[in-house]
Amino acid sequence: MSIYKSAVNNPITTLMIFTAVIVMGIYSLVQIPIDLYPEIDAPFMSVMTTYAGANAADIETNITKPVEDAMNSVDKLKEVSSISYDNLSVVFLEFEWEANLDEIMNDVRTMLDGVYSNMPEGVDRPVVFKFSTSMMPILFFAITANESYPGLEKIIDEKIVTPLNRVDGIGSIFTVGSPGRKIYVNIDPRQLDAYNITLEQIGSIIGAENLNMPSGNVKMGKTDYQLRVQGEFTESDQLKKLVVGNSGGKPIYLKDVAEVNDTIKDKTMDERINSEVGMRMLVMKQSGANTVSIARDVNKQLKKLVKTLPPDIQIEPIMDTSDFIRGSIKNLSQTLMWALLFVVIVVLVFLGRWRATFIIALTIPISLIVSFIYLYISGSSLNVISLSSLSIAIGMVVDDAIVVLENITKHIERGSTPREAAIYATNEVWLAVIITTLVIVAVFFPLTLVGGLTGVMFKQLGWIVTITVSTSTLAAISLTPMLASKLLRLRPKKENIAKFGYNNIIGKALDKVDDFYEKSIRWALFHKKVVMLLALFVFIGSIFLAVKFVKTDYMPMTDESSLNAAIELETGLRVEETAKIARRIEGIIEERYPEITLISASSGADDEGSFSSMFSATGSNRINIMARLVSIEERSRSVFEIADDFRDQLDQFAEIVNYNVSTSGGMGGGDNTVDVEIYGYDFDVTNKLANDIKLRVSNINGARDVMISREKEKPELQVVLDREKLALHGLTSATVSAYIRNRVSGLIASQYREEGDEYDIILRLKEYYRNSITDLEAISIMTPMGNKIKLKELGEVKEYWSPPNIEHKRRQRIVTVSAKPVGVSLGELASQIRTEIEDIETPPEVFISVGGAYEDQVEGFLDLSLLLVLSLVLVFIVMASQFESFAMPFVIMFSIPFAFTGVILALFITNTTLSLIAGLGAVLLVGIVVKNGIVLVDYINLMRDRGYELYEAIALSGHSRLRPVLMTAFTTILAMVPLALSTGEGSEIWTPMGITVIGGLVFSTIVTMIIVPVMYAVFARRGERDKKQKVRKRFVFMDQ
Amino acid sequence: MKAVFIVFNQTNTERVEYMFDRLGIRGFTWWENVQGRGTETGEPRQGTHTWPEMNSAALTVIPDEKVDTLLEKVQKLDDIHKEVGVRAFVWDIIKTA
Repeated sequence: MSIYKSAVNNPITTLMIFTAVIVMGIYSLVQIPIDLYPEIDAPFMSVMTTYAGANAADIETNITKPVEDAMNSVDKLKEVSSISYDNLSVVFLEFEWEANLDEIMNDVRTMLDGVYSNMPEGVDRPVVFKFSTSMMPILFFAITANESYPGLEKIIDEKIVTPLNRVDGIGSIFTVGSPGRKIYVNIDPRQLDAYNITLEQIGSIIGAENLNMPSGNVKMGKTDYQLRVQGEFTESDQLKKLVVGNSGGKPIYLKDVAEVNDTIKDKTMDERINSEVGMRMLVMKQSGANTVSIARDVNKQLKKLVKTLPPDIQIEPIMDTSDFIRGSIKNLSQTLMWALLFVVIVVLVFLGRWRATFIIALTIPISLIVSFIYLYISGSSLNVISLSSLSIAIGMVVDDAIVVLENITKHIERGSTPREAAIYATNEVWLAVIITTLVIVAVFFPLTLVGGLTGVMFKQLGWIVTITVSTSTLAAISLTPMLASKLLRLRPKKENIAKFGYNNIIGKALDKVDDFYEKSIRWALFHKKVVMLLALFVFIGSIFLAVKFVKTDYMPMTDESSLNAAIELETGLRVEETAKIARRIEGIIEERYPEITLISASSGADDEGSFSSMFSATGSNRINIMARLVSIEERSRSVFEIADDFRDQLDQFAEIVNYNVSTSGGMGGGDNTVDVEIYGYDFDVTNKLANDIKLRVSNINGARDVMISREKEKPELQVVLDREKLALHGLTSATVSAYIRNRVSGLIASQYREEGDEYDIILRLKEYYRNSITDLEAISIMTPMGNKIKLKELGEVKEYWSPPNIEHKRRQRIVTVSAKPVGVSLGELASQIRTEIEDIETPPEVFISVGGAYEDQVEGFLDLSLLLVLSLVLVFIVMASQFESFAMPFVIMFSIPFAFTGVILALFITNTTLSLIAGLGAVLLVGIVVKNGIVLVDYINLMRDRGYELYEAIALSGHSRLRPVLMTAFTTILAMVPLALSTGEGSEIWTPMGITVIGGLVFSTIVTMIIVPVMYAVFARRGERDKKQKVRKRFVFMDQ
Repeated sequence: MKAVFIVFNQTNTERVEYMFDRLGIRGFTWWENVQGRGTETGEPRQGTHTWPEMNSAALTVIPDEKVDTLLEKVQKLDDIHKEVGVRAFVWDIIKTA
């Protein structure tokens, strides 16, 4: 028994099955985590290797090169780049997106083991890092304090971080810029020399005094006592009274030779929040956890915890990714509701029956809910992409139900009982319904096969539309007939038609449209050449328009209400000076941008060359500013306008060497830059070229934030030792450098314990004795013989410029000059830059190429074109099999170019760039547009088979099929309208798709309705036209 | 005894069944899914894409006095909507076994 017959005969079972689906869907919906984007296992790894004491060039030849060479043979490697710093080599590996990272991790490790044995001694074992989205902070807090500032780290750690770590799903919590407590022992070198003791001796005495030691057991009477020597300092003040030596029989106390300061760490970083001192706190989630619920829990907990803090400590959120997620999700949910409403209105207008509208509208929630089950089973999240996919699907899921219901209504109106009408009417159309769905699937399913980053974005779209559309077909041939058999009634023909009733107003209007269309077709059929020439003209015109005016872009930029600026000042600038500039910039922000509610500026670096430096450049001459804006609805200026104005302001600072203002908070939208890559070994040559290119690119209109990737040379003091003199005194470079390091950077002698926390006790010279070259030369070094000699005796201190960090890409030295397009499109900027640098003369060993996001764009569009071809082939296959003909698919596919004409017009009129998303919309159109053609051609075939003459068949089919075509087109178009018009958070990503689909569909529907019949007539001429004559020839016996 | 052959659009199945029950016609032979075409205006019933509808047919042998009532009801059924279609044809039964 067929599915629709079973459904009609067992209404309760059918209802229960669909209820079960809905219940499961709602259960899934409750369980699905909410996130901004699908979880992406980004195929990036980095190999970090430290080699203490080597400069960047040494690192490059000894570490980076061998590592790069080894990595080059790892499977699925897409690109390798590296930076060699002083002491540190970081090799970045980018793999293909579909690669299995666990396997690759193994390969990478094996390869590294191979090269490690050949590396110089003293190189630490390379460490491999894997990147994941869970490393991106989801919450950013600014913590400010006045009186409590010195103890801030401990307070926050105890009262906030530890309790917050208990929140479910939190990966880790970091604090940045916290004023760590340190105990400094600042030594006067003249006193040391006078008493003839060294800094190292003091260090070992402090270490030896500050300890508790278990010393065995003592049995006394019946008791067994544990014996301990208790020497640990209980107060930092005790250090002062420590005896560090003897002079003339009198003890020398530490306070005699040094100052003990229990204080906060020396300033290498200046952290200000709204110009007040403070620190930042970052919250990371576990991978796969629900960002929105974690953020909610953290904020709830935080509210309670803040009450336990001293009143001067303020905690304010700088960035809350969940805000943007919630905003986007809310926005999209609204879009979805509007789409639903529009679809229902369209159905109601065309059918004019409440019950029929209800039956059709019911397939919408059912189809959409099934996609939640898919998301739940596949472990995905409810995100911007899945929700947008739903709003794309919403206009298409009603189509099948409409076709089925229309036929059932026809049967009922002819007097059948609803039950029988439901069974037999569905029997007549079920195959056609499935085939039109197949066409849609043919376009959307290939999306699930796309690789790369675009693939990650499109995968969900492909699956969700495939699943919802398939479900809708299933519902259309089971639930729809069942409901129709129960709900529809045979209405007696009304005698008196109400004056303002449906039939009199909308019905008549629709009839008029039908008649007008039939007349137009008849005219077109007799003026085929005119029509075709006109169509050709329109198409060529649109291509011309596209080439001339439509700009290409990669991903649309999104307004995430956050602004980041990385500012680089003159190299070697002290952090105190950097901070002064930061204060001035803050002043400008406060004055000019009332939209900005929070500014967090950090100047300098926490620990140079640390793990965090992989993500953002830091240094004493750098300022990083993060600013949060009020939400989109509450301001008139977009973040892009503010950023642009901010750039103009930064331009006026003479102190600023480089700056980069970025408007993207997280990933996804990202910063779209065009990078000019200069490959070449010689620093001087490439530096000169880079500067030249920077100058030229800066002159291009629309190129902003022009940056050279290579850092400026750093001023450096080098101690050059005389090896002969060293040998004379029994010293080596290693011992001397350790002496210098202990005196300047400091020697960690021991840890002072207080309430379970440890604080470093650091010995070093008083600052007064270590801030000039003369001071450094006066440092005393103890020889093994016990003599003291000055550093000056062993060598000299010279001022140098140290070589910059060395960047590699594809295993070659590289400098990139990057530029961000503002007010122009990415593609346009890339081509302008290309013409600008074309005439630059380059030495033969230097190679220049244009890449960056532009490279991704080109790659993305290539993927998209492949997708287009694949869709076209699949659609052709489906249609050719349906019609058992090679000609018919061509007739229908003539409408596709006009869909693109529509896209171009829509982009042109709305002044939208052709981004990857807009391009995707154009690809999707293939399926949607073809569907219209199929409905029409199928019916023409039918009419021909029923014996109508060619033109008559075409005209009659047009008259009869106009409404279903218009109806399905209108539901799809109107469902996209909210998407295209939405202005809320995150809408920038999807509006281009809405615009392209609407433009393409409106235009192609109009053209299809004329072009397809005309093309049908053209193709049908041969053989098709005089079918009777042909058949007569096959049965000659009748005429003999 | 007369044999009545009724051919009808499938969508009339339930009505024909009910008609037999009401008129007390117990014996019949039934064919589902039969193809056909009306002599004058009736559309082809072929179950194809072009002509998707199908007919069913029933043959019943009834006493002479019931024939007119049956034909009358068939006529009324046909009157509901001419396009759907139902036809009845009557033969004489010469012998039965």
